[in-house]
Amino acid sequence: MPEEAVRFAVLQLSGCAGCEVSLLNAEEWIERYRLMYMPLVVSAYDVPPVDILLVSGGVRTDEDLYNLRRAIPRAKQVVAVGTCAISGGVASLGDRDEVRQLFLTQPERRHVPRMLPKCHPIDAFVEVGRYLPGCPPTPELFMAALLDPADFKASKIVCQECGRRKVRDLRPEHLVGLRQGEVLPDICLINQGYFCVGSSTRGGCRAPCPRGGHPCVGCRGPSDVLIDKGSTEWLASIQRVFQSLTDVPAAEIEQAARSPQMALFLFQFSDYAGVDRPPRPKEKVL
Amino acid sequence: MPTLTFPLSRIEGHAQVTIDVQNGRPVSARFQAMEFRGFEYLVQGVPAEQMPVIVPRICGVCSTAHHVAAVRALEDAFGLTPPPLAQTIRELLMLGQIVQNQATSLFIFTMPDRLGVSSIFQADSAAADADQGIASRALRVRRAGTSLISLAGGQFIHPIKAIVGGVTSGIAPEAAEVVRGEVEAALGLACELFDIYWEMSLALRDRIGTWGDDEPACYIAATGEDAPRYTDDTIRVMCPDGCCHEAFPARDFRKHLDFVESEYSYADATSYRGQVIRANSLARANMTQAMGTPLADGYLERFRQAFGRPAHGLLLFDLARGIELVYALERALEIMAGPLSGEDTAIPYTPRDGDGYGMVEAPRGPLIHHYRIENQKIVQAEFVIPTVHNMLAIERALRVVAARYITGESINMELERAVGRVVRAFDPCIACATH
Repeated sequence: MPEEAVRFAVLQLSGCAGCEVSLLNAEEWIERYRLMYMPLVVSAYDVPPVDILLVSGGVRTDEDLYNLRRAIPRAKQVVAVGTCAISGGVASLGDRDEVRQLFLTQPERRHVPRMLPKCHPIDAFVEVGRYLPGCPPTPELFMAALLDPADFKASKIVCQECGRRKVRDLRPEHLVGLRQGEVLPDICLINQGYFCVGSSTRGGCRAPCPRGGHPCVGCRGPSDVLIDKGSTEWLASIQRVFQSLTDVPAAEIEQAARSPQMALFLFQFSDYAGVDRPPRPKEKVL
Repeated sequence: MPTLTFPLSRIEGHAQVTIDVQNGRPVSARFQAMEFRGFEYLVQGVPAEQMPVIVPRICGVCSTAHHVAAVRALEDAFGLTPPPLAQTIRELLMLGQIVQNQATSLFIFTMPDRLGVSSIFQADSAAADADQGIASRALRVRRAGTSLISLAGGQFIHPIKAIVGGVTSGIAPEAAEVVRGEVEAALGLACELFDIYWEMSLALRDRIGTWGDDEPACYIAATGEDAPRYTDDTIRVMCPDGCCHEAFPARDFRKHLDFVESEYSYADATSYRGQVIRANSLARANMTQAMGTPLADGYLERFRQAFGRPAHGLLLFDLARGIELVYALERALEIMAGPLSGEDTAIPYTPRDGDGYGMVEAPRGPLIHHYRIENQKIVQAEFVIPTVHNMLAIERALRVVAARYITGESINMELERAVGRVVRAFDPCIACATH
């Protein structure tokens, strides 16, 4: 590896390490880039000066915040990777009074980092140069983020990468989904009564979930068309898709769209961390 | 009173070890899990059927185990038995998890301890293994596990193919064939690397003079008696002398295991009737009659001849992991030699309220998900995490190394490395343990 090879580090805040595991599967960086810090696989105690800092996980504890603020000045570019770093992720399901009280008290745990009232996206505290959404982003997306993102050609939406056929003669009346047992191969999951949001979710993942027979839960967030418009627009576009392909009542769609597994991802770009922030510019999102 | 703090790396998640020293002697050793997200609380009110999508997010390293445990808990609550083809595909999925995890633990987490480097990815290690190409071979073995998870789970992290009542689809023969070739190649590489690893471990033992001099402990696993199965329904306990066994179903776990909260860690600790227990690879190697595949059985025999049954040395966890890596690759090949596609992949179901217990043997030991469901929503969730079973064992072993390397006059610098080796032998997962 040449001495001038790009130096990068991975700072993991509160998350599941799925992003790190995905990066390990990308592999191509191993010969080309110099990994300076990533506690999962390297014994090193602090983030050194680097060209690229990937940050995964949300800011959940005071220690997360300390580590984030310490690391940022040492990086030329900061990339927020994964849903947790971008929106707080699954931990945001705990953004409710009864759960918050639990986090703020925990009186019996004394010698551990303190919990913040909620899990924050990292750009609530620091400037982010690029966003890499996905839960987790695929190895291919990691490589694109590390190499030249301008070169990366992705489909606009997951639907285009899925390959299942939309048909006219299958119009479900309810979202029966998984309860039916077997999934028909090759036919659009919406036609089969699944709540799949691949029609408006950002492409680039190559659609492993719907191709594998599981509806898209939208982990890459809204497509470029919707990204700066807020989740209301996204919900409306989902409604339009279901109206054209099914006879499912609008209220049922609305309920499914606002259910927890969707809420993890649907609101990750627009309605995040309070209401007073502008949307993230789509040029920064891979 | 001075406190020595050891931040930990090459484990999953945020943890540290602290050792208090008084008058030149260690008085306590603590394993501190430093993160917390509160899954048991934040899933309250979630529609029960969404759990298989939400709970894999507890951990990206162990997402497969959580995914299958969630599906099994719901099947238990709804009274369902998935068709045999679905069970086979789930076994393949769990084997992929074992391959990926054991290859990661052996070659990425613990081999640097034997090579004396900080990471297999760093330039200095490239020089150390230039003649052996360890890093690239290790990654190929690991990738075979990833491919198995993708094949059987649809996604290699946070898989999606296990669903309540079965799996979303079978596996097309062409897709299986591609991965079969990859697994076959990985099996040869895994054996080569494991032989190297075994030699390195012998050298390490010669240098430090022990395989781990902690006392024996109880062992727990949920893998069946004859050969490892990762979706068994019964937890078994083996006493330190290897004889008395007790077995109980997942739903009785509170009758047999005691849970202790900690004030210095976000992870709890489990004991078996007050005794220290160990889960993970060594427990499984001690508790199975045989592995049931030729190469793995060869390694198990060599292991038992060298260390007896039950074996207790802590560094033997790592060797047992290698035996399992070989087993999982062999067993995956056996499964892929049979049919993996067909009509009968899932059964229709009607959800109902009640309690459900789902168990799998995760790479780190028995994992139980318990859900109480009312009005089709989760009102209570419990996640019984394998790493938590090992907490007392980890701390006891840390006290042993602290006593070994801290004397009245000095602290042996080997202590820091020993702390790392002890913790990595248990391959703890902090994201899971704290959830």
